[in-house]
Amino acid sequence: MADTILLPEFSLFLKEKKQEGVKIIAFLAHDNIPEELIDAAGFFPLRMMFGGNDELMEASHDYLPPSTCAFAQSSIGLFSTKPNNFRFLDLVDYFIVSNHCVSDICASEIITKYFNISRLNFYVPYMTNESSLKYFKLELQNLKEKLEDIIGEKISDEKLFKSIKKYNDFKKKLSQVDDLEILGSEKIKIIQKAILYGPTFLPELEKYILEVKTNPHQNLGLSKDILLTGCSIFINDNLIDLIEEGGGNIVYFDTWIGSHYYSQVIDGDLINSNKDPFDLLVLRFKNNIYGDHSVPNFLKQKLSLIENYSRNYKKKTGKKLGVFNHIIKFCDHISLMASFLKNELQEKGIQVLNLERDYSRANRGQLSTRIEAYLEMMK
Amino acid sequence: MSLIADEIITFSSVLRIAYNLLAGRNYLKRKKFREKKKLVGISLPFSDLAFAAGTVPVFPIRMHTFKINKYLAYLGSASSIFGWNNVSNFLSFVKNLGISEISKIVDEIIEDVIDTINKKYNEMYDLGIENGISSDFCFGLKSLVGAHVSKGRNLDACLNVTIRCSAYNKYMESLKAINQNPQQIWIDIPPRNIGNALEILTDNISHAIREFENLTGNTITDNQLREHFKIGNQVKKSYKTIIYDISASDFYPCNPATFSEIMALLSITFQDYNSNSIRYRDNLISLVDEMRERIRKGIGMDVSKMPRIFVTPIFGGWEPKTHDIIYELGGRAIYADWEVLELLEEIPMSNHLNPVEEYARFLFNATESGIGCDNDTLTDSYLRVAKKLNADGLIFFQLFGCHSVSNCYTMLREKVRRELEIPTTAITFNKIGENVEQVKTRLGAFMEMFK
Repeated sequence: MADTILLPEFSLFLKEKKQEGVKIIAFLAHDNIPEELIDAAGFFPLRMMFGGNDELMEASHDYLPPSTCAFAQSSIGLFSTKPNNFRFLDLVDYFIVSNHCVSDICASEIITKYFNISRLNFYVPYMTNESSLKYFKLELQNLKEKLEDIIGEKISDEKLFKSIKKYNDFKKKLSQVDDLEILGSEKIKIIQKAILYGPTFLPELEKYILEVKTNPHQNLGLSKDILLTGCSIFINDNLIDLIEEGGGNIVYFDTWIGSHYYSQVIDGDLINSNKDPFDLLVLRFKNNIYGDHSVPNFLKQKLSLIENYSRNYKKKTGKKLGVFNHIIKFCDHISLMASFLKNELQEKGIQVLNLERDYSRANRGQLSTRIEAYLEMMK
Repeated sequence: MSLIADEIITFSSVLRIAYNLLAGRNYLKRKKFREKKKLVGISLPFSDLAFAAGTVPVFPIRMHTFKINKYLAYLGSASSIFGWNNVSNFLSFVKNLGISEISKIVDEIIEDVIDTINKKYNEMYDLGIENGISSDFCFGLKSLVGAHVSKGRNLDACLNVTIRCSAYNKYMESLKAINQNPQQIWIDIPPRNIGNALEILTDNISHAIREFENLTGNTITDNQLREHFKIGNQVKKSYKTIIYDISASDFYPCNPATFSEIMALLSITFQDYNSNSIRYRDNLISLVDEMRERIRKGIGMDVSKMPRIFVTPIFGGWEPKTHDIIYELGGRAIYADWEVLELLEEIPMSNHLNPVEEYARFLFNATESGIGCDNDTLTDSYLRVAKKLNADGLIFFQLFGCHSVSNCYTMLREKVRRELEIPTTAITFNKIGENVEQVKTRLGAFMEMFK
């Protein structure tokens, strides 16, 4: 079930931020944007992590053909139609054009150009070798300079260290959600909310985790456990409801909005010892081995993660783990690798359901049938 | 199609290029097994390092056996004895005598070349889908996957150069899942030339060169690089001459449909130079000479009243009937994709310059100013070429499943209307031959604007 109060509350939160003089920098929800740098410069990083619907996708077709990633379409649609709960998008001061994928570039560029939002650029190398890491650092320097131009002052190393530490602590805490024995829908709700608000949410997150740990566990005994990989489940997306209605329960979110975000933590000693904060951000990029942007080892890393997780899960719980590969229609990264991922995992005895869909209501029935058929097979 | 064939036989260089394209498999087998050369898979025109390394770059579809018209096969055999010029002269002579059977045969040859290539592309497209690539991707990627599934195992290596198209980058990653044997050699082009990014790209190219050296067991010297760049520059110079000096002029050395056919052939073959850079260069130089000679003699067609229609992009797939239809409707189609993407820029090769760094500059220029980091730059590239061609109209092929180039059309349309004030339209494309009637209708409506 969608969290009906999340967006109205977040809207108020952003308005307060603006009243405090904080400017907002939005970007499509990808895992290599240095939000720590944005934070250190005194801005609020707003991750565009909202699911879509028919109307939002339709609204984007003035700018892009319908054969574009449904998430990118919907993000444009949000700026184009500004539904009631998304009026806070009027508060966005800057938008980062980045290249997680080419749809990210196109959609971000359209948002800045046609909705009159000032543009910042942050491009990520396609590989993660030594040269690419050097390039990533150049991009960090470039963004820092642009942010400094806006605020009219230097961003000190001290401020940046502080932000890195703040986000690092926040991610470490958020990663504990993985181990909570709660329904996947509850898990993703808290993860989404946490990522949306950022470290401001830390006290509430700590309280939530403590409460769940001290209270009796929900009865999850009859559900089929699922690892979700591929595309993220964004805010307001009902996919998880369909999965749970069908008798499944997602226990691990191997996605942007999920483990990719909170697995990017840096060892505490390094934070305290390193002299150049950019090196820490570069290290974070380097360690982001499960993200789908980089080539050429995405498939290899993904296979290894899912295989290990499945094996350990079975050892720990005695239960078989299903794998849903969530493919948002026309997603380049996930879609192109889908058949290779499925074939290789199935060779290792791990059954995969490639769950391809866009945000239209019409495919709900078909999705349910496929989910139910897969879960039935898991019995 | 006979109108095209009538013209084309007098260009022996075109016959040679077409023959080398279709007869690639035998050539490649000879290189691999007799001469022990390494075959390197490439796509898009990034073959330079492979040539400089002494390997044989190959656009993967060329590893297939093409059903070559038996007469073209005879011509190919005859050319090895008599030389292509003599064969071409003979054909012209016979055709001028009016021996209808021979004329028919020649017509068939040319028609077959184009049809054969297109059929193979479609076959690879189907094979790609059968082997797991989602039908949601563009024609080009599906065909490339099909080509690797069917023949990729014959490659010793693949040269993978990252670009802004995320589907293309992932396709390159998928090659090792399709075939495990070929060595994967990567060049990561940083998205922007900021700070010391040029140095970083130079290092990346040097790294790729070392991998080529490991592949062949031979050292690649600066002079080898310069030598290849020199050949490449000559190819590009001839290609640009055809695009700007000839295609934009008012008198064509042949009818405009033939001319477009030649440009389409160049667009396909420029990617791997038909696996032989010297031969390809010589053919292009001959082609320019042959065209100029015909223009000098007044052989050809006055096209001054025919609107110049810039048709782009075609490299990821397009409907090949387009130029015939445009011609029938009174226009002339011009193809110049590689110029849009700035891949026809020459690479400086003076002895005092570091060739690796110069190659890095070339790649950066193509990335930043050609295809661009974003659609603003890319659309400017289309505008630049349309202006230089003095185009009267622009037709944009919007490939189903292309999330990179096709997505720029809205922006492009605005800029074309604002800055060039010429008509423009988009034609959607999925597969060759699938939508010809619709293409005809769209083009008919479009060409009405010039009447």
